[in-house]
Amino acid sequence: MHRTRATLAFAVVTAATVALVGCSADSGGGDDDTIRIVYQKTDAFVALDDLFKKVKPEFEKANPGITVSLEPIVADEADYGTKLALMQQSPDTAPDVFYEDTFKVRSDVDAGYLLNLDEYLADWSDWSQFNEGAKEAGRADDGSVYAVPLGTDTRGIWYSKSVLEEAGVSLPWEPKSWEEILDTARKVHAASPDKVAFNVYSGKPAGEGSVMQGFGMLMYGTDDELYDADEKKWVTGSQGFVDSLAFIETLYSEGLAPAPDVALDGSMWQKLFGEWFPNGQIGGTIEGSWSPSFWMEGGQYAWPEYVDDIGVAAFPTQNGQGDGAVSLSGGWTLAVGANSGNPDAAFDFLAMALDKENALDYNIANSQIAVRTDVAEDPAYLEANPFIGFFTDLVTSTHFRPATADYPQISAEIQAATEAVMTGQMTPEEAAAAYDEAVVGIVGEDNVTG
Amino acid sequence: MNLASPRRAAASLARNLALVLIGLCFVVPLAWLVLASIDTSPSQRTEVPEGFTLANYQAVLTFDGTLLPLWNSTLLSTGTAIVTVLVAVLAAYPLSRYQSRFNKPYLYAILFGTCLPITAIMVPVYSLFVRLGYLDNLAAVTFFMAATSLPMAIWMMKNFMDSVPVSLEEAAWVDGASAMGTLRRIVVPLMRPGIAVVFIFVFIQAWGNFFVPFILLLSPAKQPAAVSIYSFFGQYGTVAYGELAAFSLLYSLPVIALYVLVSRGIGGSFALQGAVKG
Amino acid sequence: MRLLPVAPSIVLLALFMVGPVVWAFYVSFTNTALTGRAARAPQWVGLDNYVDLFTDRAFPLSLLLTFVFVLGSAVIGQNLIGLGLAILMTRANRVVRAVVGTALVAAWVLPEIVAAFAAYAYFADDGTLNQLLAAIGIAGPNWLFDFPMLAVILANVWRGTAFSMLVYEAALNDVPPEITEAAIVDGAGGAKRLWWVTLPMIRSSIATNLMLITLQTLAVFTLIWVMTKGGPGMASSTLPVFAYQEAFKFQQIGYGSAIAVVMIVVGAIFSVGYIRMLRPERDT
Repeated sequence: MHRTRATLAFAVVTAATVALVGCSADSGGGDDDTIRIVYQKTDAFVALDDLFKKVKPEFEKANPGITVSLEPIVADEADYGTKLALMQQSPDTAPDVFYEDTFKVRSDVDAGYLLNLDEYLADWSDWSQFNEGAKEAGRADDGSVYAVPLGTDTRGIWYSKSVLEEAGVSLPWEPKSWEEILDTARKVHAASPDKVAFNVYSGKPAGEGSVMQGFGMLMYGTDDELYDADEKKWVTGSQGFVDSLAFIETLYSEGLAPAPDVALDGSMWQKLFGEWFPNGQIGGTIEGSWSPSFWMEGGQYAWPEYVDDIGVAAFPTQNGQGDGAVSLSGGWTLAVGANSGNPDAAFDFLAMALDKENALDYNIANSQIAVRTDVAEDPAYLEANPFIGFFTDLVTSTHFRPATADYPQISAEIQAATEAVMTGQMTPEEAAAAYDEAVVGIVGEDNVTG
Repeated sequence: MNLASPRRAAASLARNLALVLIGLCFVVPLAWLVLASIDTSPSQRTEVPEGFTLANYQAVLTFDGTLLPLWNSTLLSTGTAIVTVLVAVLAAYPLSRYQSRFNKPYLYAILFGTCLPITAIMVPVYSLFVRLGYLDNLAAVTFFMAATSLPMAIWMMKNFMDSVPVSLEEAAWVDGASAMGTLRRIVVPLMRPGIAVVFIFVFIQAWGNFFVPFILLLSPAKQPAAVSIYSFFGQYGTVAYGELAAFSLLYSLPVIALYVLVSRGIGGSFALQGAVKG
Repeated sequence: MRLLPVAPSIVLLALFMVGPVVWAFYVSFTNTALTGRAARAPQWVGLDNYVDLFTDRAFPLSLLLTFVFVLGSAVIGQNLIGLGLAILMTRANRVVRAVVGTALVAAWVLPEIVAAFAAYAYFADDGTLNQLLAAIGIAGPNWLFDFPMLAVILANVWRGTAFSMLVYEAALNDVPPEITEAAIVDGAGGAKRLWWVTLPMIRSSIATNLMLITLQTLAVFTLIWVMTKGGPGMASSTLPVFAYQEAFKFQQIGYGSAIAVVMIVVGAIFSVGYIRMLRPERDT
């Protein structure tokens, strides 16, 4: 009697625990009538939020019975990447449509997170409007397309005309080699030591920015490569790698770049756009084509005078070799979750968000380089800001990051190397050696050359 | 006694002075929170506000921004505390009342459990939650947080229960009452203060927990205040100090109130006895 | 069957405490990741993660930083300052005791993340500490960048000392006054009396307190994460921060689990040590 009651009590407790937990688990994924859209939103990046808020009612009207649930993740790029990856691991929390960095597409396809879009794209008339580069950006190793780009970007030098003039630099400033950048930076530093002479993003807190608006712009302008695309091997022990780190070391050790403690604050870019340029506290920086999105009317750091005070230049190769200029391109895509309960609706939402009108609005609001030819020809796009033509032309000298599944990890190692150098914790040679060691650890001896 | 030597008076003065100085050191960082939250132009410095304002509080008091996260915190912490107290009372009773070969190893295991660094198991807990499909599930996170506070709670509860005299129960047993009956009708009412202490102790811990919900609760609508305040910091940290301070204080108030309740109403040293007495 | 009420606790502990520990050991032998092929089909890699870990330059540094953090902020900072404060408190003016006690406890009661914000603002380059130093004519360094370990250690002392103080206050109150009086009659001086009479009497409280604060400090993540994110470089990456970075930021769950296993083992060694210290008294 006693025993049975006790056993019963035990069974009830266990069952209640499991049931309680189980019940609320149902609210997770697997609901076919709701499509969940996960994307990044910050105080300075609301263009995508605006876009989705506009598309949601239109989509729900066109597709009765389907609810769109917008789930912005308020976080910086690195934290957004982590949160998205955490969600994607479990089918219950994986989103239906999400905002995905191009460099993560291949590795996330390998992980099985992205839906193959080939069939959908075949039936989507708009797809023919996307340029070849855009189509490549979403392609995985198996040749299929898994993601559709929202736009792309290029990178170059943005400089303050007033600060350079003050330092006696003749304008327009068009540096032809790294040495010329250092010369100018030293002039600015000599004229006003409390100003930032020239910024090259470095260190882990700046995340992928330290590669795209930093180390990568240097590395791709040397005679060496990061990745041998023909042999599909990562390059170690290259002089170009050491030289690139040495350039960063020179900038930081001579006080030409921001103080390392400032540079290692992940939000430094906010100061750069919001304070340094408008207040004439910085000579120049490597930045992306999107820069005007912060300064234009309605932008986070609205500063209409930027049109007159800002100058742009292509970033030079190390000694002016090749065609003399270098740029890197990235960009973000929209993708559909592989485990989406309603992939048809999810793709329809994606297609609606990227139609001509929406893509045009988004490209203008976020100062993106258009990837749809019809948008690229639209007068509204061409007139959106005075620099868009310059940065669209940089596409001819641009490079894309190695499109491999290992890239995100290797990028993290590059960031660590730049941080070690900028803080003086390692010499460029030591940091390059540590990087080589790490790369071998990530991809294995067989996938390394040099 | 009051005719103490001057040397003794000096020593006493030095003691009190030292305490006041240390107290000041401890209070300065807190003063920043309060002052920045009502300052019209707050910065990272601690300064007398240039102008008094409640605008920072107004700015953060929005449904999505603070009210929903605070409600989530309430759900999570209350749930965790209830589950923990229920399970701990049940577990403590046999451990306190019966001698058994099982007691000692279990108590050692519990003691060991109190030692397990929770941050160490978050990586495996995340993978476990993925496998079980519990990610982003408030109930599952509640049970997990209850489990992590259980060792300490059982330990405290057993110590409290040990101090309830067993003679009262023996009388009830003679009258034919069951063990569970005496626990409910006699032991629990007698150790109400102890139970309250454990409840509040667990509640405060759950309320302040950042890492667990940060990893396990992913959709913004389910996140407790600890997590939303962190994303607020990440986004506006370099600008909106006033709002950050205001949000921080709003979020801290409930636990400060509860702590005052414990220390004044129920007795602080009593609570510590349960926790620390071997 | 009288032990049945213990069952729910066993179920919960088995599922959410023992389970993850066992799971950590298992995952640490695989290449589980959040992205790439290994996310879809993790493979058994044997001791690879451990081999990598023990050859990773960051690991010995992280272990050392963890040791420094625990020793500096818990064993020395919280423990000794807490004991000192408790001794001062027992013989302080009543008003002083109440006011200072409240100030100390306030820092301890605050949610960890709020305490971390306050500490961040205090140690920031443009923060309160440098403001105070400037007032006496010293140009303070950027604490979070130049001395990140010192900053997080001081912050943890600030946050945690109240607990040790409360424990020791309670313990000192339990020391019968006759004993200290007897010591006075014997002519023992203050310091000697403390060392030979008072401290041995509260030995078990000291051991318990040390155990609790050591293990709490070993697990501190939020405070460091908010203040320095483990940086600059690796300069304040204790094991919990290191594990988080590897597992979630670099998305190598298997590798992160290997670090977690190391933490669990370190914690276990500590607690076995402390439990042994405590045992003689419990068995009498």
